[in-house]
Amino acid sequence: MPQYKAPLRDINFVLKNVLNANEHFASLAGREEVSEDLLDAILSEGAKFSENVLSPLNQVGDQEGCVWSEGGVKTPTGFKEAYQQFAEGGWPSMTADARFGGQGLPNSLGLVVTEMVSSACWAWGMYTGLSQSAARLLENYASEDLQNEYLPKMTDGTWGGTMCLTEPHCGSDLGILRTKAEANADGSYNVTGTKIFISGGEHDMMENIIHLVLARIDGAPAGTKGISLFLVPKFLPDADNNIGERNGVSCGSIEHKMGIKASATCVMNFDGAKGFLVGEENRGLQAMFHMMNSARLGTALQGLSAGEASFQGALEYARERLQMRSLSGPKNPEGPADPLIVHPDVRRMLLTQKALAEGSRAFIYWVAQLVDTFYFSGDEQARKDAEELSELLTPIAKAFVTETGLESANYGMQVFGGHGYISEWGMEQIVRDLRISTLYEGTTGIQALDLLGRKVMGTGGKQLMVFTKIIHKFCEENASNPELEPFISKLAELNKEWGEVTMKLGEKAMQNPDEVGAASVDYLMYSGYISLAYMWARMAAAAADGAADDEFLKAKLQTAKFYYDRLLPRTESHKLSMLNGADSLMEMPEEAFAF
Amino acid sequence: MPEYKAPLRDMQFVLHEVFKAEQLWQNMPGTEEVNRELADAILEESAKINENLIAPLSQSGHEEGVKWDDGVVTTPKGYPEAFKQLAEGGWGGLAGEPNYGGQNMPKMLVLLFEEMLYSSNIAMGLYLTLTSGAALAIDNHASDDLKEKYLPNMYSGQWAGAMCLTESHAGTDLGMIRTKAEPQADGTYKITGTKIFITGGDHDLTENVIHLVLAKLPDAPAGSKGISLFLVPKVKVNDDGSLGERNGVNCGSIEHKMGINASATCVMNFDGAEGYLVGEINRGLQGMFTMMNYERLSVGIQGLSAAQTAYQWSCEYARERLQSRAPTGPVNQAGPADPIVVHPDVRRMLLTQKALVEAGRAFAVYVGKQLDVSKFGDGDAKAAAAGMVELLTPVAKAFLTDKGFEGTVLGQQCYGGHGYVREWGMEQLVRDVRIAQIYEGTNGIQAMDLMGRKVAANGAKNLQALIAEMRAFSADSASVAGMDEFLNPLNDAVDNLESLTKFVLEQAGSDANAIGAAANEYLHVMGFTMFSYMWAMMCRTVLSGESQQGEEFDKAKLQTARFFVQRLLPQASALSASIRNGSSTLMDIAEEAFV
Repeated sequence: MPQYKAPLRDINFVLKNVLNANEHFASLAGREEVSEDLLDAILSEGAKFSENVLSPLNQVGDQEGCVWSEGGVKTPTGFKEAYQQFAEGGWPSMTADARFGGQGLPNSLGLVVTEMVSSACWAWGMYTGLSQSAARLLENYASEDLQNEYLPKMTDGTWGGTMCLTEPHCGSDLGILRTKAEANADGSYNVTGTKIFISGGEHDMMENIIHLVLARIDGAPAGTKGISLFLVPKFLPDADNNIGERNGVSCGSIEHKMGIKASATCVMNFDGAKGFLVGEENRGLQAMFHMMNSARLGTALQGLSAGEASFQGALEYARERLQMRSLSGPKNPEGPADPLIVHPDVRRMLLTQKALAEGSRAFIYWVAQLVDTFYFSGDEQARKDAEELSELLTPIAKAFVTETGLESANYGMQVFGGHGYISEWGMEQIVRDLRISTLYEGTTGIQALDLLGRKVMGTGGKQLMVFTKIIHKFCEENASNPELEPFISKLAELNKEWGEVTMKLGEKAMQNPDEVGAASVDYLMYSGYISLAYMWARMAAAAADGAADDEFLKAKLQTAKFYYDRLLPRTESHKLSMLNGADSLMEMPEEAFAF
Repeated sequence: MPEYKAPLRDMQFVLHEVFKAEQLWQNMPGTEEVNRELADAILEESAKINENLIAPLSQSGHEEGVKWDDGVVTTPKGYPEAFKQLAEGGWGGLAGEPNYGGQNMPKMLVLLFEEMLYSSNIAMGLYLTLTSGAALAIDNHASDDLKEKYLPNMYSGQWAGAMCLTESHAGTDLGMIRTKAEPQADGTYKITGTKIFITGGDHDLTENVIHLVLAKLPDAPAGSKGISLFLVPKVKVNDDGSLGERNGVNCGSIEHKMGINASATCVMNFDGAEGYLVGEINRGLQGMFTMMNYERLSVGIQGLSAAQTAYQWSCEYARERLQSRAPTGPVNQAGPADPIVVHPDVRRMLLTQKALVEAGRAFAVYVGKQLDVSKFGDGDAKAAAAGMVELLTPVAKAFLTDKGFEGTVLGQQCYGGHGYVREWGMEQLVRDVRIAQIYEGTNGIQAMDLMGRKVAANGAKNLQALIAEMRAFSADSASVAGMDEFLNPLNDAVDNLESLTKFVLEQAGSDANAIGAAANEYLHVMGFTMFSYMWAMMCRTVLSGESQQGEEFDKAKLQTARFFVQRLLPQASALSASIRNGSSTLMDIAEEAFV
């Protein structure tokens, strides 16, 4: 079982040398005062907690899983105690609004801690991650009364939260959901229905669970325009905001899954449970989408953090495991064989992992900064650009980083040979736990439709142009730097091609609406590889100066080169495939799929 | 969990109409008695027993797993009875030597039985196919006495077989094994050592398990040239063939794995166990290698099989699950939403599975044909086929399992969140097939074998023969109307393979790491080229009127081929570009600088 070690050197490099975090924090209204000392303290404390408290729980959690009974759901040994420590350390309130006791730190900083938590034990992190997302949503959409009643205890971590969307017959298609809400005379609602796949719907780590539930009010219009959002607590608070009467919501069962076994995936039954409207009637999806964007970025993080954990495990093994001789002559002549890391194909797997993890880290941290800017910048134009960009990049981050994260986790397992398949080594758990990430929070296919249909075509390419302009400017600024030559010309070429490919798809889509869906996943992956190429070029630019006498920076440039030489060519295949169009997908009649 | 249904029509199409098996069989001594009627009867019986008996045990086996208690291994409920029925049906001796009770059926046919067996239940299948594999090694290398004593009961499935190679410090690098064999006065050997990852090392399916064990004599040369092969029965066999006393071989524990939970993966302890030399002293690896071509193809078929099942089930789900409307307007107006098969991206996932599975099946049969000609044929044809077997076996093993894994992941993806939940069965397919990329030589080892031993070592002689064959096929097919759209991509793929090979071999002249650095991508380029060839062959069968499967079937073949060349074959261009960018980015980075 690999022991997680937070990659602080790389995190610091990305935050300080690539993304200028201090400058960024200073640009945010009300968040300016993040000092370098505070940043360092948060990183090192977050690393300690993740390495020492959470990492040891990961395998136990997988083996024990959650246990359901009539009385509730029991989480694995140690989960509850770890959470108490986490709450006492003040972690849940990090990015929360100061009005309710939060520390008001930027989300982009909270996300760094979440990366470490996630690498150490993703299933544990889901309970707190979803709780914090729910609190953010209430900060933005709930009435002041609801905020005062619920947010203080959600902020300090005493209470948790969930999001309840899916029903047995509707996952991607929320328009057909059936859970209903009947108005009571006192302004509250009675919520009735069954929700499935509710992560953390019931558990023993927190004293109360605040569900955010999508439902239809009697007489609401059909489809997505008739969906409202309700706050439904497990326990109704009493007059002093302590937990009071039990509400009519209960967990009917939990799912047996491929992975994230320590995360309770619940069937939740609402039997006339008392609920309170959040936001406006029939505008529940808008509020949910708000939460969803942060949840999507959080899920992208799962791809990164699993890829990182898998890389660490594989690297350690590749350095220790002795097997065969190097093709260019023995490297460990005293030993019976050379370590695996001498073999080119093992290096290919390790470097793929490294290039994807480090590229994805820079990418996600950057998107998180854009989200900060959108919320807190005083500069109107900067806010607007950040909004456009973060909307464009969120589906790319979610789907691309989880898809490539899965590739990486599989490589990590492959490096271990047969031992990778054995549970005790922990590598197969990483694959199983991560596999959910391309499914929940909107499947890869749904993200791709969101990207190409809504974000690119839907804005007439405007959002994309915000990004391609940034890349163009970056290329111009760095064109004369000889160290960056291997990167800039390729990036500029692809950046130009990206616009052209998009135009071509736009023309096709005007003729045939199926072209969007037919191209979408190829388009998303294509966009992801270019986005990471941009991040790698930025990292190379940040590393170029000091690389001559710093091994870390030299490795950055080498990894950038690996990414450009060996992974970036994939854009060409995605391009060819999507430009070949929809016909070969749509021609075949449904009945002819199988004989 | 859906039911498995054997794809008999496609199997018959490939076997009889594409490869004209009957014609081939009737022209080779040893197979003259096999005709289409007999082959179809075998396929139909195979479908019945696998669909009705073997497949229903898959999920219960996954949930229950194998139990170990104080050296005794117990398989899941129903397994011993089902194995007995398989054995009594003669399925264990299908390809066996007729002198000892085998049926001597051609591999082209036998491998379709294997496909059904693994599609139904990989874990169960392994007990049978490893027995056949061990029997094959004994038949090829053991003395007549050993053959007479052991083969009849192995073919009849009364006894099972196991292959004992790996030790905890020696997986890929068998030269380092430590298990020792001490010669005894009576000509037997005392075998002592510990083997790990022994599939079916012990179980309750049969009264005896016949182990083939690699070990070293006390004075053996170091490395792979000092390894000998021994037959070590679990229970000794008396001269009259009856079972005698227990031998000194015991199962120390079983592994907890990602999947194939119903297959016992054993640690086997040999404590001075009585063993009998198979073949010559110090030539044990050679004995293993003859069998390995068959074993590797068989493992490749596991990839094909799991993907076939995933395809069937996801197809079924996509036609039933109602979610969102088609982009071109509702097609299921009366229902609340359209079946997800209307969505282009769902079709992309289904057609990817279909295109890979059907080409994979054709490729497996093509390799099976080469095995048959190299066994039953004569003269130049026999030698040419043997060369083709050498060349294509690593491709079949690695490409079919990599694509098989991809197929099962896509099948799981079609199910959305339900794909992650155990009861639907999709996650089991992913978990069960994942091992196939690892065992029997990891896919990295296959790639090295292909590029290094099978291509570079003989100056690409076998590859040139294959390229010539494909070009001859193309030239010969050019006159068939409608073939252009399939032949043009094939011609390009063949040209690319040729020039890519030349490029790598040139690099290899001055760079010992060039082959290892290109190997994985090269194997995949070769795989895509072969699949392109297979699709062109299938299309030619259809377009020249040789298919007997009806218009709908034929049309779907052409449509799937079109999808393959337009949407999947472009992947070869990224892989090729990656190789052409050279090995330096893999090797330059210092080991210490990886993190």
